[in-house]
Amino acid sequence: MGKSGAGGLRLSEAGFAWLLVSPVLIGIALVVAVPLVYSLWLSFTDVNLLRTTGPALEAFGVRLPLYHWVGLKNYLQVFGDPLYWSSLWRTLYFVGAFVVEATVAGMAMALVLNERFPGRPLMRSLLLIPWSLSRIVVGLLWVGLLDFEFGALNALLQRAGLIDAYIAFFKDGWSSLNVLVSVYMWNQAPFATLLFLAGMQSIGEDLYAAAEVDGAGYWQRFRHVTLPSLRPIVFLVLVLCTVNGFLMLDLIYILTMGGPGYDTTTISWLGFQTTFKFFKFGPGTAILYTLTGLCLLLTLIYHRLILGGFEAEG
Amino acid sequence: MATARARRGGAYWARSGRSRVVLGTLVALVTLWLVGPFLWLFVTSVSYQKHLMARPLSFVPPEVTLDNYRMIMGLVRFHAEGQAAKILPSMWNTLVVAGVVTAVNLVLGTTAGYAYARFRFPLRTVSLLALLFTRMLPTIVLIPAFFVIFRALGLQNTLSGLVVAYCSFTLPFTVWIMKAYFETVPADLDKSALVDGCNRLQAYYKVVLPVSGPGLVAGGAFTFMLCWNEFVVAQVLNTKPGTTTLPPVIAGMNGQINIDYSVIAASGFLGALPAVLLVLIFQKYMVQGLTAGSVKG
Repeated sequence: MGKSGAGGLRLSEAGFAWLLVSPVLIGIALVVAVPLVYSLWLSFTDVNLLRTTGPALEAFGVRLPLYHWVGLKNYLQVFGDPLYWSSLWRTLYFVGAFVVEATVAGMAMALVLNERFPGRPLMRSLLLIPWSLSRIVVGLLWVGLLDFEFGALNALLQRAGLIDAYIAFFKDGWSSLNVLVSVYMWNQAPFATLLFLAGMQSIGEDLYAAAEVDGAGYWQRFRHVTLPSLRPIVFLVLVLCTVNGFLMLDLIYILTMGGPGYDTTTISWLGFQTTFKFFKFGPGTAILYTLTGLCLLLTLIYHRLILGGFEAEG
Repeated sequence: MATARARRGGAYWARSGRSRVVLGTLVALVTLWLVGPFLWLFVTSVSYQKHLMARPLSFVPPEVTLDNYRMIMGLVRFHAEGQAAKILPSMWNTLVVAGVVTAVNLVLGTTAGYAYARFRFPLRTVSLLALLFTRMLPTIVLIPAFFVIFRALGLQNTLSGLVVAYCSFTLPFTVWIMKAYFETVPADLDKSALVDGCNRLQAYYKVVLPVSGPGLVAGGAFTFMLCWNEFVVAQVLNTKPGTTTLPPVIAGMNGQINIDYSVIAASGFLGALPAVLLVLIFQKYMVQGLTAGSVKG
């Protein structure tokens, strides 16, 4: 941590720092804190977008409706809906499968890219391609690979003699859900690889040298040197993937629309649809707030654990 | 150093033949996995739909055409030209929104990141924790509030509204990335500037900022990419035709029976290109910025 300023200038340091941070803090208060509180408020009211009367905040000719307080009604309605619970279990499966796939694939790619071979810098650039695409484009290009009529992967599998006829990947719910997991993994695993690679580069060569002297093979070195050193980063990846998994929405929009039936409806999709398709803002924001609660809880646990971990390691 | 290298698997040409084959195959597989799908998007975008439907499918298009791109540009009349005509204006909207948000982030976020990296001041820890909290907050929970508030303010279906909404998820990130970056810039630099007679503000923008190019590039490119690719907020807040960004327009074309996949692929490829090029060009800085920002986060 840098400490600048000497002698007489030190007095104004705090004032100057506040001058620099206050625009952002005010901005974030306006575009994050205010909407966050207002959304929370909406989840306890009987929002009706068509109603123009009733309680409201009025200032400078702007009328912000407050609607009527209904207590826990929205939350009780949401928790009483079997669809909420089935979506929650589906979300847990989705998140679990995604976290495992993304971490394993991310680690595998990192292990390959950490070796020395001609063209490695280029490969590291290519690594970012899947991650830099809009999820709408990600979904779109996987349609091109998986489609029942013109999917290139179907054609490839058929040519290799692995399948007799094109597979309808999106026909049944179980297959659709797993395709969503893998497509999201394709998009997100490179970021995990990036973090793993950064971690691998900071492992001291002497550790590997010592392991080599002890006669450790590739996998033993991975298990006893690489993996333990990467522990904080593995943990970071697990948490980032978990939170991202809970929030994923855009791929569902472009690939399955939550269907067939409700077979790919996750909590975030249910909240999105309830709010913005059926315009039930009360129950919808209630669903979204339960999702937020889950994510913040995870983040909190993560910070406890990882900060504790860092301190323990010095 | 030479022996150290050998221990990590060694240089490629120093490996045994078998080990080279294994590594080469693995590298090829990873490359195919990373680039293959995106390349195929390009191939479909220069193909005719009828050739994509052919069995067996030919992986090298029998006929290369720019017709799909011509349709998007409005150079060819076809039955769905109304929908295709939305692509270019929505790209312009995306560019404006992403550009303005990036500028706001670079000015405000960088300044705050600098202050957090350099100074101790009252409420520093508290406000940093608040930033961390907002960084982890799902944007989706803010959208219902944006929807009602923007309706009241008349910001619905405007690009300004999107700029405001996008700042909610980009600003905390930028501050964090820039804070991590400025912590790597030696504090002696500012000190000697102060000794040389600069005031604090001058030390910041005359001495520190000019050597902070890599950090600015990392923060700016990341912000631009996030905004360029954003879908849900634009889809919900800007529903009036002509007011939204590219991702919702492409999503709207997808699955429409009257539009060939090859045309949608062309718009997808065209839309992906700016972000992909940006990331490829600034890859080095972005990786540094992002890993520093995440690992320290």
